[in-house]
Amino acid sequence: MLRFCRIGRLGACLGVLAVLLIAGSAPEPLHAQAPTLVRYWLWLDDPTEPMFDQLVKEFNATHPTIKVEYQLVPLSEYHDKLVTALAAGAGPDAGRFKDWWLGEFVKLNGLEPMANSVAKWPGRGDVIENLWNTGKITAAGPVYMLPHQFITFYLYYRRDWFAQAGLKPPATFEDFLAAARKLTDPAKNQYGFGLRGGAGGQDQWLAFMVAGGARMVDTQGKVIINSPEAVKVNQWYIELFRAHKVAPPSAPTDAYAQVLGAFQSGNTAMMAHHVGSSVLVTQKLGAANVGVLPIPAADPAKPATMATMSGNVVFAASKQKEAAFTFISWLSENAPMDKWSGSRQGQLPVLKSVSRLPRYSENVFFKVSLDGANYAIAWPPLPGVGYVSAQAWQANMQRALLGQIGSKDMLDEIAKALQR
Amino acid sequence: MALPLFLLSPALALLVGIVAYPIGRAVWLSFHRLEILQPDLTRFVGLEHYQALLQDPVIRIALQNSVVWVVGVVVFQFLGGLVGAIILNRRFPGRAVVRGLALIPWATPSVLVALMWTWMLDGNYGLLNDLLVKAGILSRFQPWLAQPWSALPAVILADVWQGIPFFAVMLLAALQAIPEDLFEAAKIDGASAWRVFCHVTLPLLLPTILITTMLRMIWTANYMDLIMIMTGGGPGYSSLTVPLHAYYTAYKRLDFGYGATIAIVQVVILAAAIVLYLRQLRANEGMVQ
Repeated sequence: MLRFCRIGRLGACLGVLAVLLIAGSAPEPLHAQAPTLVRYWLWLDDPTEPMFDQLVKEFNATHPTIKVEYQLVPLSEYHDKLVTALAAGAGPDAGRFKDWWLGEFVKLNGLEPMANSVAKWPGRGDVIENLWNTGKITAAGPVYMLPHQFITFYLYYRRDWFAQAGLKPPATFEDFLAAARKLTDPAKNQYGFGLRGGAGGQDQWLAFMVAGGARMVDTQGKVIINSPEAVKVNQWYIELFRAHKVAPPSAPTDAYAQVLGAFQSGNTAMMAHHVGSSVLVTQKLGAANVGVLPIPAADPAKPATMATMSGNVVFAASKQKEAAFTFISWLSENAPMDKWSGSRQGQLPVLKSVSRLPRYSENVFFKVSLDGANYAIAWPPLPGVGYVSAQAWQANMQRALLGQIGSKDMLDEIAKALQR
Repeated sequence: MALPLFLLSPALALLVGIVAYPIGRAVWLSFHRLEILQPDLTRFVGLEHYQALLQDPVIRIALQNSVVWVVGVVVFQFLGGLVGAIILNRRFPGRAVVRGLALIPWATPSVLVALMWTWMLDGNYGLLNDLLVKAGILSRFQPWLAQPWSALPAVILADVWQGIPFFAVMLLAALQAIPEDLFEAAKIDGASAWRVFCHVTLPLLLPTILITTMLRMIWTANYMDLIMIMTGGGPGYSSLTVPLHAYYTAYKRLDFGYGATIAIVQVVILAAAIVLYLRQLRANEGMVQ
């Protein structure tokens, strides 16, 4: 009897506890919705920088219905990992993306066209108009990549060496070659120009190609990189190394680290790169000793350089396309973009309002870069650009620099790879 | 009969899952054009990739480079390892410390080895160039990784440096297992040091040599990290090996079918080379006995 009383009291206590618990949780909505999860991939030039983590925290705090989770992947592995993850159905909803891969992924139906979302996006009028094309396959077609950060190539030169040699900063191909020859002295291991024949050198090469008047494609999108005009410009570029010997003997395999190191350590007088290296260059050599110029042109009346865009895309396989677009369009808003461009990842902001801020408009490296945006030419959105930039250009440029093939053979190979 | 099979089934399932399936899948891929993001469009192409292989000028260069790479790496690693093992088998002060230090290259990650050697061989301010110029051996810096004749040997040098401790440790273990009385008996019979090495040491080391060189041949033939980081297969195709060509074809050109075909050809050639090598060594073993 006593035992039954105890059980009865215990049951009553549990009942009261249950009622209290239910009552305590009553103010919560009965069906509280979990935030929509957006998985985002990106690479960062300096992955130790907390800038992006802070941006994600800020977004998650101000957008309670969306939760962004991100994954950092090194750029060198980004393409491979993305392809395999998407093929396995385990890809992200959105990601940072290069214009190099646009044609390839659109051909594979891997990217979501964003025409409708972009039309409703309030920030669209603030984007530098010329840059929308970097995210499209055709000018009239839909946007697949939302422009975010871009670079244009320019020329660094040793202002102190030019002054000592009585040289003017070069504006034309002729001036450039003359200066490079005068500043080359192999006995002192000193060369006029840091030609980049190794990994990533295709951007530097394309900057000189378009500045020389060559074009990748014509207005109809037909590949013309192996046209007689392009062969001539390419021959001039190859001869910088082969005939005039104004580039270090290591040029065929020199990548960014080698070209930057040679310029910083006084082995080269000129280097073509972008704003991303401006801090490293001026820290090492002193701001007074480094000048910056647009890429010299064959015809100064027709300046040109190359631009490459790192934008953001939503993947076609995503089930959270709307939330994914909300996040990537937020990244392209004024304050997040300023935070990104002002960080160590520092590339050029695509928003006119941000580029007018004093920290960009009054910085000579940003200024020359942003001026270049008006006449810069990007890689065409062809399916083969990813392969050309990852391997085909490097192998064939090196063969041309070593004299194993001629300028025309090299460009025929590039044209074939672009059109595959 | 059923019980042993039942007991073996987990191991068999594992083997099928991690060995048989990938091989079967690669063979299947080599007969198909795979559309990686649109698998529904993948189609059977028969022997098209194998025919393309016969017309591919790059595969011929890659095959030649692979032979130079494997032979160069394995021969020099073996010779260096043998010398190292003999030295480390002798008694000298601090032997234990030296034995430990000798393992450092083997324990260093490949990426680090590649970056370290890339900078040491740098054509503008590399340590090796600096030493050679200061020693009067070179008149000016050489771009070791940018010249077709020196790029592959330079990468072989880096891999030999990394791999010598593997051979040294394996051969040292085998040397220590040889009974001392055999050496004493040979000395009592009046054998010279060279004859002792040829007729006592070497025959007893042969089983270890056989297995280590065979393993190293397989590893080296498939190993591409060092080449990819140091030269990317260049300049041109000067240091492009077969697995690197397969990787570029599959992941950079997104031609997985042709990439798998290249990989299968490598497996077949490697298997044939290993069989020939084993037969030859067994014949030699018989002659020694």
